[in-house]
Amino acid sequence: MNEPANKKREYRSDSRRKLFSSSFSVICLLVSSIAIVVLTTLLISIFATGGSWLNLEFLTASHRENNPEGSGIGQAIVGSLVICLICGVVALPLGVGTAIFLEEFQPRNKFLRMFHGLVQLNINNLAGVPSIVYGILGLTAFVYMFGAFNSIRVNDQPDFEIGASYFYQTKTLGGTYVKFPAVAEIQPTFEIQNSLKATNADGESFHLNLVSTTDDPLSYQSKQSVSVIRGTQAKLSNRDGDEIYESQTVDGTLFRFPAKPTYSQFAKILEPITVTGPDGEQFELNVLSKADSIPTDDLVKSQSVFADSPDPKKRSSASIFRENSAFHMHLPFSKSVLSAGLTLALVVLPIVIIASQEAIRGVPQTLREAAFGMGATRWQVVRGAVLPSAIPGIMTGAILAMSRAVGEAAPLLAVMGGVLGTTNQLSSLMDKTPVLPVTIFKWAGDENEGFEHLSAAAIIVLLAILLLMNSVAIFIRYRYEKKLGT
Amino acid sequence: MSDSISAESKLLTADSYTRPTFQIRSSSSSKRWQAVVVTALIFCSLVSLLTTIGIIVTLALESWGFFADDRIEIWKFLTGTKWTVGQTQGELSYGILPLLSGTLRITGIAMLIALPMGLISAIYLSEYASKRVRSILKPTLEILAGIPTVVLGFFAVKFITPYMLAPVGDFKTFNATSAGIAVGILCLPLVTSLAEDALQAVPNRLREGAYGLGSTRLEVTLKVVVPAALSGIISAFLLALARAIGETMVVALAAGSTPTFTLDPRMPSQTMTGFIVETFKSESVVPGTLGYFSIYAVAAVLFLITFGITLIGQIIRLRYREVYD
Repeated sequence: MNEPANKKREYRSDSRRKLFSSSFSVICLLVSSIAIVVLTTLLISIFATGGSWLNLEFLTASHRENNPEGSGIGQAIVGSLVICLICGVVALPLGVGTAIFLEEFQPRNKFLRMFHGLVQLNINNLAGVPSIVYGILGLTAFVYMFGAFNSIRVNDQPDFEIGASYFYQTKTLGGTYVKFPAVAEIQPTFEIQNSLKATNADGESFHLNLVSTTDDPLSYQSKQSVSVIRGTQAKLSNRDGDEIYESQTVDGTLFRFPAKPTYSQFAKILEPITVTGPDGEQFELNVLSKADSIPTDDLVKSQSVFADSPDPKKRSSASIFRENSAFHMHLPFSKSVLSAGLTLALVVLPIVIIASQEAIRGVPQTLREAAFGMGATRWQVVRGAVLPSAIPGIMTGAILAMSRAVGEAAPLLAVMGGVLGTTNQLSSLMDKTPVLPVTIFKWAGDENEGFEHLSAAAIIVLLAILLLMNSVAIFIRYRYEKKLGT
Repeated sequence: MSDSISAESKLLTADSYTRPTFQIRSSSSSKRWQAVVVTALIFCSLVSLLTTIGIIVTLALESWGFFADDRIEIWKFLTGTKWTVGQTQGELSYGILPLLSGTLRITGIAMLIALPMGLISAIYLSEYASKRVRSILKPTLEILAGIPTVVLGFFAVKFITPYMLAPVGDFKTFNATSAGIAVGILCLPLVTSLAEDALQAVPNRLREGAYGLGSTRLEVTLKVVVPAALSGIISAFLLALARAIGETMVVALAAGSTPTFTLDPRMPSQTMTGFIVETFKSESVVPGTLGYFSIYAVAAVLFLITFGITLIGQIIRLRYREVYD
């Protein structure tokens, strides 16, 4: 008899239960509004720290060591935009293509169907991979290219390179700089800086294991016969008509590897040669010997060098330098804007794909059916009917993905290192550049107090860029999404 | 005749939808063209697959370089409680537990903030909020979600630590708590939006049924809607967990660069991601050295954990999803 009475009580809306319910709604509101409080505090604290440091000079100058007042983010803004552009150019076509494949081309072939399911599962998983892991992938795949090529050092010629020319440059007695083209030659010695393939006395080939002098010898104890200390010199010799370099590993095993032409770091000028002056004019360089006196005529002076002078400071020594054209490229990509852009493209690819898929899914089925009914192929349906209606959605997703890319710091740190400033302007895809998020990160961790304010000012600029991108996305959504009206 | 043509063109130009621009019948050449396009699309899809394969191959190969080193034993790597890789002086210790525990400490604090707050916000947005409140809360959360993590790291180290934590207790300049709070803020919008999606997917029939039995709004929410959306909520939690474990810039700025094996949330605590970034920042790593390989070994552990959690989240979402209609 008791039971039904209990049940009745439980299901009646008595005042206590009503009170619970309404007080829970108040708690909910309070908890939810914490987000607003946090956002406001964050913005206020950043504006308070950096607002007053924001001026035109800050926006155009570049980083200066120990001088917060003179530093700025000019290079970083350009760098961020260029990298974002590369990222967009690579990620958008790939992402939209994948989305079209996943949404519109459900294959009938068994193998392709498996591939289809695998790609879909994979994309959802990729979206959860931490961005620093992408950075490590970019470092291995783009910067070092799995060690398949010799890594690139300053003024060294990479294995595969286009768009660069090498010159020797020297200072004339008149103080002007002249240059002349460098020729690659087989050098008498070769400094081993990269792991390369070598052959030992028995004709077995192996890869050198490079170690450094600071390494604990115990760490390569078992590999002594293939280990070489970085910077070891190899000597040129001639074997059966082939030019080869020879050297020894740490335990004294002889090995050799084929010689190839390289540029030496310095060149001596011993006889008159044709050089290019600072204004691009060509003339014969006037080479003086120890006995000659310094010419008095300014023009002659600026066209003369000492072959050997008693004063070592005046002795002519031409050092190598590289002139890069705008389409300069080499393999591996090394720490460059291109590596960074490609890495970011991988980071945002899943986001672009998922957003595009959603946009394509939102296109009403009737549009496709109408197109099919007129005899269109599947691709014609996609190109003529689906894509035009899905474009606003795709664009919105793309812009949001780009705004994610602008703010990413971790993968860029991995791929380009913590660059704060470069001496040269960004001129080719193979250059390094500072970027906004990395600059913010490095400045925030700087011991100099002033950089804390600069970091906040840079954050304001970054947030302004993001706000701008998001407004464009919202505008596109608002402007075009109404057209299809459901 | 002319009337019918003008009527037809009127029909076509009155485009309530986009007008197809292709020719009306597919010819054999358009079919050939389609084959070309499909091949191109398959290649596009291959890129994402290759990315995963690339990550796995890279991490496996280069971690092998770490474990193949004569000084490294895998058992000590997994159980050692001291991490000195990257330091130039002293004995070499390479136990990952300090880094792992650092990650877990910060993730724990972050989850303490993000999960309850996120779920409550989601419940509020989905079940209670009026249109006006929604129109304020939703954009706020979206903006919060769009804030770059490096900015939150700055906020943690320049605001949370000195103004919120320092007055309360003996917190170090870099500590696990401020990083944990910032990571929590970061995960909050993620949890809210995913959990809200799950709650909204519960059909109104269920709510109406419960109301019809005389339930209050609280009872409908907690006894009907939340249980029905549980698989979605749990998968949202797991995604947030993976995100927190993989979070990099916040911990690199706010958690310090000392690996510690402790439970004290006031101490600095370098995480796995923090170690990786610290190594890249100093630019002291030469490929082929132990320090270089150690990055990959740590990243491999990180990847396995986050990938595993994401995968479990997906399985839960797909397998235990309550399907209505």
